[in-house]
Amino acid sequence: MLNRGAYKHYYVMLLPGLIWLFFFNLLPMYGVLMAFKDFNPGLGIMKSDWIGLENFKYMFQLDDSRQVFQNTIFIAALKMAGNLITPLIFALMLNEVKNRLFTRSVQTIVYLPHFLSWVIVAGIMLDILSYTGPVNQVLAMFGSEPILFFANERIFPWMVVLSDVWKEFGFAAIIFFAALTSINPEMYEAAAIDGASQFKRLLHITLPSVIPVAILLGTLSLGNVLNAGFDQIFNLYNPSVYSTGDIIDTWVYRAGLLDMQYGLATAVGLLKSVVGLVLIAISYTLAYRFANYRIF
Amino acid sequence: MSKRVKLTAIGLIAAFTLSACSNTGPANTNSGSTPPASGNTNTTEQVAVDPFAKYEEPVTVSLGRSIDPNYKYEGSDTAEDNLYTRWLKDTYNIVINHEWEAATGDYAQKVSLAIGSNDLPDAMLVDESQLRQMVKADQLADLTEVYEQHGTERLKQIYDSNPGLLESVTFDGKLYALPETTLPSAPLTWIRKDWMDELGLSEPKSLEDLEAIAQAFIDNNMGGPNTVGVVGTQQGGSLYSTFLSSSDHYMNLSPVFFAKDAYPGIWIEDENGQATYGSTTENTKQALTTLRDWYAKGILDREVGLRKSSQELLTSGQAGIFFGPWWSPYNLMDSIKNDDQANWRPYAAPLNEEQQFNSNQATGSTFIVVKKSFKNPEAIIKMLNIHVNEKQESYKEAVGKEMTSQEIPLFLIMGLGDQLEYAVKTTQKVLTGELELEEVDKANYGFTYEIASHVKEIKTEPFDNYDIQYWDKETNPDFFPHVYSHLNGGSTFVDADIQWTRSLATAQTKTMQSRWSNLKKLEDEIFLKIIMGSAPLEEFDTFVEKWNQQGGKDITAEVNELK
Repeated sequence: MLNRGAYKHYYVMLLPGLIWLFFFNLLPMYGVLMAFKDFNPGLGIMKSDWIGLENFKYMFQLDDSRQVFQNTIFIAALKMAGNLITPLIFALMLNEVKNRLFTRSVQTIVYLPHFLSWVIVAGIMLDILSYTGPVNQVLAMFGSEPILFFANERIFPWMVVLSDVWKEFGFAAIIFFAALTSINPEMYEAAAIDGASQFKRLLHITLPSVIPVAILLGTLSLGNVLNAGFDQIFNLYNPSVYSTGDIIDTWVYRAGLLDMQYGLATAVGLLKSVVGLVLIAISYTLAYRFANYRIF
Repeated sequence: MSKRVKLTAIGLIAAFTLSACSNTGPANTNSGSTPPASGNTNTTEQVAVDPFAKYEEPVTVSLGRSIDPNYKYEGSDTAEDNLYTRWLKDTYNIVINHEWEAATGDYAQKVSLAIGSNDLPDAMLVDESQLRQMVKADQLADLTEVYEQHGTERLKQIYDSNPGLLESVTFDGKLYALPETTLPSAPLTWIRKDWMDELGLSEPKSLEDLEAIAQAFIDNNMGGPNTVGVVGTQQGGSLYSTFLSSSDHYMNLSPVFFAKDAYPGIWIEDENGQATYGSTTENTKQALTTLRDWYAKGILDREVGLRKSSQELLTSGQAGIFFGPWWSPYNLMDSIKNDDQANWRPYAAPLNEEQQFNSNQATGSTFIVVKKSFKNPEAIIKMLNIHVNEKQESYKEAVGKEMTSQEIPLFLIMGLGDQLEYAVKTTQKVLTGELELEEVDKANYGFTYEIASHVKEIKTEPFDNYDIQYWDKETNPDFFPHVYSHLNGGSTFVDADIQWTRSLATAQTKTMQSRWSNLKKLEDEIFLKIIMGSAPLEEFDTFVEKWNQQGGKDITAEVNELK
């Protein structure tokens, strides 16, 4: 049917990726067995006793787990929405600015935070938003009582989402910029001749051209709905915001690494992965349906 | 940070607690009684082993090591390859090889990971929970015989002078670890005395006094417009020392609880002699009420639990009150450097209503453990022998200076039970001339001798006044922290009349292993919320109820069986 020989070099190029996938993603999968065992490190995974679904039963008994799953989904969903809409709007706005030097420099500046690690960004955030920090000083000028943003259960998840969007929107906007530059300028010229205003052109040419990209990004990010961002929350949270800020990953970290409840932590992690897998499958189907995007 | 300085500090004490009267002479490489390099664990008859014999073939010991990233080694030395390890190699043929290294703060995690993946170095330092986990997992070598055969008189003498220590690491008659001989510690209240003097305040006795001082510091902007009254816990820190992790009470809020006769985080006896968890008692609720009140008034740091570094508040001169053990001055060097008026003084306060000074006994300790499959467990005993005994001649030449936990592999604090008290009292006497330097018991208290021999360069008259202006910081900056900590902090601690309370349980029971992270989360969350005022005080009762329901009751029953 196809001349396979012609594709040989593609397979070779694929090889390093596949090897990586095998060693780092497939091989460790056997550790999943720990979720069904009373894991004893001295005996190893194979020799530890089977306990069936005990770990899962216990997990669902814990008040914590429901709360932790809820927090995760809430934060992750808001992040997904924020990280889709903000860069889109930003790209559209910047696209209207005609000064190349200006757009270029703004682009560069806004994507810089993407390269900072959360340890650093969290430190800066905590400082700026501290009790006596600049933000509270400004608030004080308007007669407001100082607010501890990261110690307030209601505000905390929003701070997480906001800071994440602030850090990532510039980088996410790059894809939209790429989509925008690929729009045929003749369309704008034709529309202008037909008397379309600048706003009308944005509405009827620019927006429809980037919507498929937006849908694609949105559906692809569905698989991340249980990833609320460990590094970020770990560096920002404290016990007083556990009720809204504790996510699956931070919980698994505490239970698994700090308290050495390996089986339970694996069970929670496994559940997270299974849900993630299902969502990824759904998102690819959706991506194919609505954006005509396929991988396989 | 705190842990590092503590280790280095206390470490020095240990390093100098060397015996001069050890019967065992220096190793003789030609000695005919040299045991074979391996396989002597199965020696059945008691051959006289020379505990200092040099191995004929190099024996490699692989370690997991905690490294302080800020520590400055000499020249191009590292933790793995330095004066001490090279000397160890040349003299005893013991080669140190680091399987992995972790920064001090990440070490516990890395150890847990090694345990969980059963990918263990030959030996490493672990805490009590990790030790028990490893015993349960059958990962450890039985050290009973090698300790008997290869431990020197000196080593055994140290353990014998700390009764119960080896028993606590003996499981089913097998010795599974070599424990540290921890120095006792209670949290003192550290206050900027220069600020108190300026405002004409006198030293605190009660919680109310302390509150008044903090309020005065804030009202008078002693630390600038953002003066913090009482320093609290930083992000990730614990509000008080618990039975699983003590961190020696450095910069937490334990003393406020103790002053209310509350012992959160440990297991105590209630009035009926039954085990009860300290965090669930009425007294703890009282203490939380005080803290909540302090927080509302702005006396307690508003960012308790959020701050990245509480230490920063001291260094920048923004706060004048914190809680910490006797060795806290080791961590105050930056503060003193930034402001040479900073006169930090410790007080055995706040007292409870009966005018007693309470503390729980810190339970945190460190243990050397050896992997089950390690061929040369005697090498580990040998290293500890070398560490606690007087070094042979080649040591002076090859090393010749004080080594800390950063150079010495498998470093444990090893010493006789009363070493701190002896160090403080003796140094005071040498300073006033009551005692000649030569009279110091150098054999048993080597570090005391070191401190005492430098004290006159550092402490100026009047000798009984430890205010900062009566110290010479310049002449011997290396020894200043030691002498300053021992006399300023140590003396107050040694002289204090402390009512100790010890936890009934010091490791996790069976039910705890599955329930504890949940219960701890419950506790951490509600306590911090109550203090910060984001939850009403009544939530405490709900917490106690929930805590009992979610496994606390069963755990309490287990602890009751323990005692």
